[in-house]
Amino acid sequence: MQKMDANGNDNAESGEYSGENRTKYRIPRMKKVNLVEIASKRIKMDRERDYENRDAESLENRDLDFIYDDSDSPLNEISELYSYTEQPEFQLNVKAFEDLMEDAHLSPSWQKLSQDQQKSLILKWLDLLEVSKSESRMRAARCFLYLAQGCWAEQQSDEEQQQATRYNVMLLNECGVFFAFVDLLNINIENSVASISAQSKLAVSLADSTDLRIILSVLYIIVEVMRLSLNDGDENYKKQAEHFRSDLANATGEDVLSVQLLSMVTRFCSGSAPHFPMKKVLLLLWKVILLTLGGMSALKQLKAQYRKDAELPIIEEDTIEIAQMMRASSPPFSAVDLLVAQDNQQSSRRFRRSLIKQGSLDVTFALDFESSEQSENEDREEDSNNGMFAENADAPQTPSPRPETPEPPKAKGLPWMPKVRAKDLDNFLDNTRMKFVGFPLPGDRDTLIGLPEPIHEGVSVLKQHMYTSLAELQIQKEEVMAKSPFSVQEPEVPLTPAEILYQAMLPNLPQYVISLLKILLAAAPTSKAKTETINIMADVLPEEMPMTVVQSMKLGTDVNRHKEIIVKAVSGILLLLLKHFKINHVYQFEFMSQHLVFANCIPLVLKFFNQNITAYVRAKNVIPILDFPACVIGEQPELTVESLEIGDSQLYSWRNVFSCVNLLRILNKLTKWKHSRIMMLVVFKSAPILKRTLKVRHAMMQLYVLKLLKMQTKYLGRQWRKSNMKTMSAIYSKVRHRLNDDWAFGNDLDARPWDFQAEECALRGNVDRFNNRRYGNGPDSELKSTVDTSIQSVLGQQVELTEEFKQHYEVWLQQVLSVHVNWDELIDKAYL
Amino acid sequence: MKMADGIAILRRNKPGTKAKDFSRWPDEPFEEMDSTLAVQQYIQQQIRREPSNIAQILTPPDAQDEGVWKYEHLRQFCMELNGLAVRLQADCHPETCTQMTATEQWIFLCAAHKTPKECAAIDYTRHTLDGAACLLNSNKYFPSRVSIKETSVSKLGSVCRRVYRIFSHAYFHHRTIFDEFENQTFLCRRFTVFVTKYNLMSKDNLIVPILEEEAGTGESEA
Repeated sequence: MQKMDANGNDNAESGEYSGENRTKYRIPRMKKVNLVEIASKRIKMDRERDYENRDAESLENRDLDFIYDDSDSPLNEISELYSYTEQPEFQLNVKAFEDLMEDAHLSPSWQKLSQDQQKSLILKWLDLLEVSKSESRMRAARCFLYLAQGCWAEQQSDEEQQQATRYNVMLLNECGVFFAFVDLLNINIENSVASISAQSKLAVSLADSTDLRIILSVLYIIVEVMRLSLNDGDENYKKQAEHFRSDLANATGEDVLSVQLLSMVTRFCSGSAPHFPMKKVLLLLWKVILLTLGGMSALKQLKAQYRKDAELPIIEEDTIEIAQMMRASSPPFSAVDLLVAQDNQQSSRRFRRSLIKQGSLDVTFALDFESSEQSENEDREEDSNNGMFAENADAPQTPSPRPETPEPPKAKGLPWMPKVRAKDLDNFLDNTRMKFVGFPLPGDRDTLIGLPEPIHEGVSVLKQHMYTSLAELQIQKEEVMAKSPFSVQEPEVPLTPAEILYQAMLPNLPQYVISLLKILLAAAPTSKAKTETINIMADVLPEEMPMTVVQSMKLGTDVNRHKEIIVKAVSGILLLLLKHFKINHVYQFEFMSQHLVFANCIPLVLKFFNQNITAYVRAKNVIPILDFPACVIGEQPELTVESLEIGDSQLYSWRNVFSCVNLLRILNKLTKWKHSRIMMLVVFKSAPILKRTLKVRHAMMQLYVLKLLKMQTKYLGRQWRKSNMKTMSAIYSKVRHRLNDDWAFGNDLDARPWDFQAEECALRGNVDRFNNRRYGNGPDSELKSTVDTSIQSVLGQQVELTEEFKQHYEVWLQQVLSVHVNWDELIDKAYL
Repeated sequence: MKMADGIAILRRNKPGTKAKDFSRWPDEPFEEMDSTLAVQQYIQQQIRREPSNIAQILTPPDAQDEGVWKYEHLRQFCMELNGLAVRLQADCHPETCTQMTATEQWIFLCAAHKTPKECAAIDYTRHTLDGAACLLNSNKYFPSRVSIKETSVSKLGSVCRRVYRIFSHAYFHHRTIFDEFENQTFLCRRFTVFVTKYNLMSKDNLIVPILEEEAGTGESEA
């Protein structure tokens, strides 16, 4: 009973049922009533309640209606480009447009012009972009920005504005505006006047980056519109977008736009260019990578393609899709529900005559009870979490946040096919052979002689689920090439977009990684702004600080929003790069991930999650009426404390959930199968942090957290496992199983802690060898250079003898001459 | 027409060819040109025949791919512009023309550098022509001279814009050289008609008043 109270109290927060009375009242009735009826009633009630009271408290128990994707809605992605403090500048754009139209003796309305006129004007203004007077250049640039923004002054609605944007962007691209702006970006990056004046200032503000912001905005809008046109829009636009993409993806060397942007990031972090508007740079970088390398669907296609090329079976399972179908692990709604569920379980168990004793529930209860007692001296938080993850298939779940969408088909059993690595099978065979036969047969996976029947069966099950990853194949190939550098030729490397990017990034990759992480650190909500060496707020703070309450509220929201967007962009960039490099070549991935680890990415991400993550996910740092294009189209209401919240109907922050999922995925990517890094998770005490993150009710996010917990469970000790059985069972039901993997209790041989350093060093060695062979002129290519065999030139070389040798030269001579060596024998007997 | 009596005519300037004999071979109908450089050959042939007949030079043969046609013409312009550049070198010095100006209003940056910067006029001319040659010969953008990618066609516009500034500088600052050259080659006229015909530049930017001067010839709006 006591436990139930605890549960009731847990849910008292939800404001629905405050435990005890009702619980006691309902228990006796429960058994008589048809359970289905109750469940359906329950759902109905929930729905009603959902509609009635959407306050935050009740939302705590809802699954997040969040669908993971490459990016947010187009409208949000565009509006996030601008900070609210930039708002006055929109008027300057239209002014620039009007001025230039006046110069051309035309009335300032773009849409009334014929397409030929428009083109002619664009060509004319393009000329201005190369004029040496920077004011004229920037006036033209502003004018182009206004066009890219869809001539909003002429539009009546958001839709019109979006259509105009697309139309104009296509027109601009046709005339080669994009690459003219890339040139312009180069001019402004090198603009030493601006950087010197910014460096000498105490507080860099919005005004210092005006020019760069204009240019980056134009580039961003073009890239974003092109990216969206790839997937929808009419054929013509699609074709143009495809051309644009291939143009951008096939640039070489220093021309790669992504690399230019990355070097902007490093320059910013080194302090030599504090005025660079980092948010826009990062957003553009993210979108350029997304456009040139492709998002999730491209990754999936590439993987299937490469597996097919390598003659590996193509797996149908798609992590993202399956995770999207999953339901979040959730706290039970109330003690009543718990009882219903338990009752249900009990009866069904009895019915199925399962092997579990009838008293088993009592045992669980006792266990729970015991554990809650034990954990009393532990973290309070852990305690309350304990009861939370009752993943009860039978318990009435929260209704789906989208009532219209059909319920996903209930998967029978576990969501994932289990997998086995070749290594696991080998281990299994070795062990059983040692046991039954007495000696191992390395490399033989078929001989089963002398092994008992159950082992045969075990081997066949393991083989059935055997999964060879691309990475394993690539590593094998590397090993072969390392063994015989002369006879095995390097196959020609196809110049995929990812390959081009890697080659371009390679010389400075460590700096890029460090800079990105520095910015992530500075933008993390837990970090103190003052201690940072870099100031990422330069492109949001206005020159004059706000005077009124509303103004400062606005600025506060703006600053937070700014940080969130930066985190979103950085996490998106890192994840995309990791995923693409991994699919392209595993050592490219390892190179980058090793540098991430060396740059302390793991503790940094953990630090990020060490905050009130549910609050972060639900943070509302938006002012809808100030978002572009709402802030320029139609009547502008006066900004008051109330109007700040108009139109704010979202229940969670898309970008924050997105960043969280990204960061968790990055963490997973870094630590998977890497014992040394898993130990870092343990050392940095990630378990309680991760457990708190599980509170966010989103299945995919929970899945990635559970994965992280699963890999370190072994090291967390008996006590932790005992008091976290619910989490353990969530892991069991949600994360893919590795057959033979004793993740929870095992003492894996691999897991011995002493050679972690060695592991990391070996990996390093392999990666360096790979980089040298493919891209460098390191020692490996020295090996392959031709040997000088001409007697003339070899004897002609100056040899520097040591002093010591010169002194004892006679001794050496005696040694050599005293023994007669018949060198010809070497040739005669064909040793050489 | 000296070589016409040979069965196989080699249309080539061999080493040692006298200047007066340069490129003196009989015309060949376009249909019979079978090399991959047919378009270039055809254009050059038309120019040699009558450099002032711009309308004819710019009339493509039937079924000619427009992208290739534009590309080959621009190539030809850049090649011939080198002639103007050579003449300019005698008169246009970095000390006197420190910037690439046309009228007082327009001073241009030299886009040939990674970071565009202000170059002296003669340097601008050289850099731009070199840059144009690099671009037009680049394997990446123009791997074939028979068919041209659509994205690459869009690169032609920026080359035109930059190259045109050479004309305008010569016209406004070295008028005698310009006139001398123009009377011989009709290049600026041809260029102006070319960019207007294919909408490669805005009319407002064509500041050399070359077509107005002889509006009577009736080719201005080709």
